[in-house]
Amino acid sequence: MIESFVTHTLNGLYYGFILFMIAAGLTIIFGVLGILNLAHGELYALGAFLVFSVVGFATGLVASPTGTVSAIVFGIVVLAASLAAAAILLPVGAVVESVFVRPIYERDEVYQLLLTYALLLIFIDVMKFGWGQTPVDPGVYGTLNRIPTTELVGFGYPSYNVIVMLVGLAVFGWLVWFFDRSKTGRIVRATAINRDMATAIGVSTDRTFTLVFAMGAFFAGFGGAMVSIGPGTAFLEMGLDPLVLSFVIIVIGGLGSLKGAFVGALIVGVISRWAIWLYPPVELAAPFAVMLIILLFKPEGLYGTWGEIE
Amino acid sequence: MSRIPFVEERNGESIVRVPLTRGLGLTPVQAVLVLVGIVLLFGLPFFSGLVGLSWERLFRGILFGIAAVGLNLLLRHTELVSFGHAAFFGSGAYGVAVLAAHYDVSEGLLLLLGAVLIGTLVAIIIGYFVAGYVDIYFALLTLAFNQVMFATVFRSGFFNYNDGLQVRIGGDRPSLFGLEWTTLGYNLVLYYTTIVLLLVMLLGMWKLINSPFGRALDAIGQDRTRARFIGIPVERYVWISFTISGLYGAFAGGVYALLRLHVQPEPTLYVFVSGEILFMAILGGFTTLVGPLIGGIVLVYLLEAARFWVTYYHALTGLVLLAIVFFMPKGIVGSLPSIGAALAHRRHDPGLVREDIRGIAAAMRRAVDRAITTVRIIVFGVN
Repeated sequence: MIESFVTHTLNGLYYGFILFMIAAGLTIIFGVLGILNLAHGELYALGAFLVFSVVGFATGLVASPTGTVSAIVFGIVVLAASLAAAAILLPVGAVVESVFVRPIYERDEVYQLLLTYALLLIFIDVMKFGWGQTPVDPGVYGTLNRIPTTELVGFGYPSYNVIVMLVGLAVFGWLVWFFDRSKTGRIVRATAINRDMATAIGVSTDRTFTLVFAMGAFFAGFGGAMVSIGPGTAFLEMGLDPLVLSFVIIVIGGLGSLKGAFVGALIVGVISRWAIWLYPPVELAAPFAVMLIILLFKPEGLYGTWGEIE
Repeated sequence: MSRIPFVEERNGESIVRVPLTRGLGLTPVQAVLVLVGIVLLFGLPFFSGLVGLSWERLFRGILFGIAAVGLNLLLRHTELVSFGHAAFFGSGAYGVAVLAAHYDVSEGLLLLLGAVLIGTLVAIIIGYFVAGYVDIYFALLTLAFNQVMFATVFRSGFFNYNDGLQVRIGGDRPSLFGLEWTTLGYNLVLYYTTIVLLLVMLLGMWKLINSPFGRALDAIGQDRTRARFIGIPVERYVWISFTISGLYGAFAGGVYALLRLHVQPEPTLYVFVSGEILFMAILGGFTTLVGPLIGGIVLVYLLEAARFWVTYYHALTGLVLLAIVFFMPKGIVGSLPSIGAALAHRRHDPGLVREDIRGIAAAMRRAVDRAITTVRIIVFGVN
């Protein structure tokens, strides 16, 4: 009982960290640009596909691991390859923002939804063109699990999940540092709070928005990469469900709030894994039920927002 | 008043109007278009084969279009973006399926009535909760209700999980008007019943949006606070319009179930179906009454049939929607008057075409310039 409680909670946290990486991008894009990006799930899927190609290339460069040390080297190579794959999404996000999204900031939100939906459809076919209809799998999951982690404290749990949790924590830490401490991050926050004032003191809002969208794309892609190097595969429709769950997360946490996205993602992840364990029929409905309760009783979410949204 | 039939005096000008109901009329052009539309609708099963279109697919498009017409009541007048209209479409479809599969109701019209009642009930319940919200919160709330319903149906044995329910009673399709029909006869009778009801519903919607109630909805859409000041019960009116809008969706879903005879959660209840219904309204033109109907036909056709024409059919649909966003923001039907006027100008003065070409060239040059500037800003940090 205790054992399975711990396992399912850990699974939930793992799932939550994946969701956080997707929702973080969605929430900063919404918080700063004021756009609900329906194509965000496809950026995640694109990351999952890209990592298949990049990791396949990178692991070809190193020998298959034989011992603990070489397994760790292998893990570092895979992580570096995931970062490289997600980095490809930086220019993708920048181009999408400056070409398609920029002309419609002033338009009705229905057009923003329609535009990002159109991008979603186009992205699906870009991936179909690049990788075909069949799911792809980099096949490094088994090897990653040969890195010893939980065995050190006398508890069996896949090392891959532990790695993803650590990576997710690092992403959260970096984002908090970026927005609270770094100069660029503070400029982004200033732009989110007051666009006109930011322009008046010499900030290029165009550049800030491009940066934010590219960052959002990067973290979505990185989340996709983390899923793809695990037991799951990369397939064309994989972006839809995480996108909808990301809505749930950013609503629970508060639209535009980074901490909210973090807490919301962990709540959603843990609740859905507990539901699978205790009462499977409610697994799909549980996150949305939480979202409903939050929206009806505390519509601003757990943490509110750090930027005023126009 | 006016001695000559169909001619009214307004502001000193005589306007030809075809009176349809008390106080409402059409201009001659509109009247002709409406007549052509009605003839097309009634002749559709016979015409569509001639031009190589699948009639059943057009029928499905019309059904989603009806749901979009309902959604448009909220979108156009109260300016609320509903991202959960599949909830009503789905409850209509599942209403039919549950009544047929679990309660052995075999008369199609009775099933449809039940579906509309169930869907409307769902709309009343959801509307009670969402009526006080605006903007993105309204969209996300409707989405959440929709997804809760989807997840419940998807994981519940009563609705037979992912496989869905058959609308067959002991292996037979439902009867219509108390009679058993062949496959073709059944579909035709269902189609014509739907078309007649559709015309009634369009007329009803037209009356509604031109009534004092419709004007009150417009006021709510423009400014809720002011609407409240002049004594409009905002929440209740939004609730009522939400319910009416759900009724249209439930009707469409009910007919959909009767047509397909098999209801599954994903094509009827999934949140992306909600999105599609919303985008149909914009594609067809959400500033018009019949635009969403046209949008429904076009989008369903694109999503379903384009895969037989090109490999990358998602991208094709995506490009069409992009074109709508950037070049025809009023949608297909909404843009017709301006396109017609522009064409008339060109015919009048062919020199304008040369200016158009020059204008397009200038726009492309500007776009390239802007792209270069953007790249410079990103790469060097300064322009």
